[in-house]
Amino acid sequence: MRQWFILFKKECLESVRNFKWLWIPIVFILFGIMQPVTSYYLPQILESFGGLPEEALFDIPVPSGPQILAETLGQFSQIGYLVLVLAFMGVIAEEKNSGTQLMILVKPVSYGAYLTAKWAHMSLLAVTSFILGFSFAVYYTHVLIESVPAAHVIKGAVVYILGMLFVMTLILLFSTLFNSRAAVAFLTLGLTIVVSLLSSLMPNTMRWSPGMLSSHAYSIFGTGEGGEAMWLSIACTLLIISVMVGIAVYIFRNKETASHSS
Amino acid sequence: MEEVTEMLSEVNWSLIVPILIIQFVLMVIAFVDCFRHNRTNGPQWVWILVIVFFQVIGPILYFIFGRRND
Repeated sequence: MRQWFILFKKECLESVRNFKWLWIPIVFILFGIMQPVTSYYLPQILESFGGLPEEALFDIPVPSGPQILAETLGQFSQIGYLVLVLAFMGVIAEEKNSGTQLMILVKPVSYGAYLTAKWAHMSLLAVTSFILGFSFAVYYTHVLIESVPAAHVIKGAVVYILGMLFVMTLILLFSTLFNSRAAVAFLTLGLTIVVSLLSSLMPNTMRWSPGMLSSHAYSIFGTGEGGEAMWLSIACTLLIISVMVGIAVYIFRNKETASHSS
Repeated sequence: MEEVTEMLSEVNWSLIVPILIIQFVLMVIAFVDCFRHNRTNGPQWVWILVIVFFQVIGPILYFIFGRRND
């Protein structure tokens, strides 16, 4: 346990040094603020630049609070995930190339501890950035439009965070499988898009999938209740995450022992 | 011109200023880092131009692709 904590601290220190702990939260905060503000000013923006006829402008309603929070999550699912995946695509490959990995792994460090420390750090950074950015979005929505009950916001955010952990685990799994950073980024983003697309196209067959979590979060913001079979998809996501971490550790151990003994 | 000044006075600056400040902070961090860190992927002066002239996207691109970690 002490060993794991040292590895975890090393990851955090590294991210502080290359500014990841600074710029990733800032990006999330920026998009968290921008979404409510642009929704609020949308009619005025269209009026001054769009050249729409007068009658059309009356038809654009200012969206409700829950709707804006859902749009913010949509932004995080696109730009946020893109930024996270690009920031962490080299999580294993970089250390391998620079030789750090070899220096760590010749010591009696368990492969499981090495990988889970990386995973925990990635997830912590992603979740912290999300919470910061989303708090700003909630605050701006509260000031500009209307307040959404705090219980709904927290519940929805927790459900969404689970979906985020799924993506972080995908990055870890693909990083152990492939040495190319581009492959990690493409596969993670591609699979995330495919899962969420399938979930929105066939909600019944995909009711278990992690891609359903964000739509459950949207409905929690509005009504306080998740959609049908929310607990099923939560349970499945937790299961998938733990299985993927297990597979990642297994692959990593085999690959490294093979490459060191040869 | 009158229209522009009218529009500017209508905007609630207390809402916009935090966004501008955060954009500025991001730019300054990237700029200082790029300036001090002499090893970048590609020419350093190009990255400085990218950071300064492309708001938000420029600094993000620099941190992801421009910074060499070794």
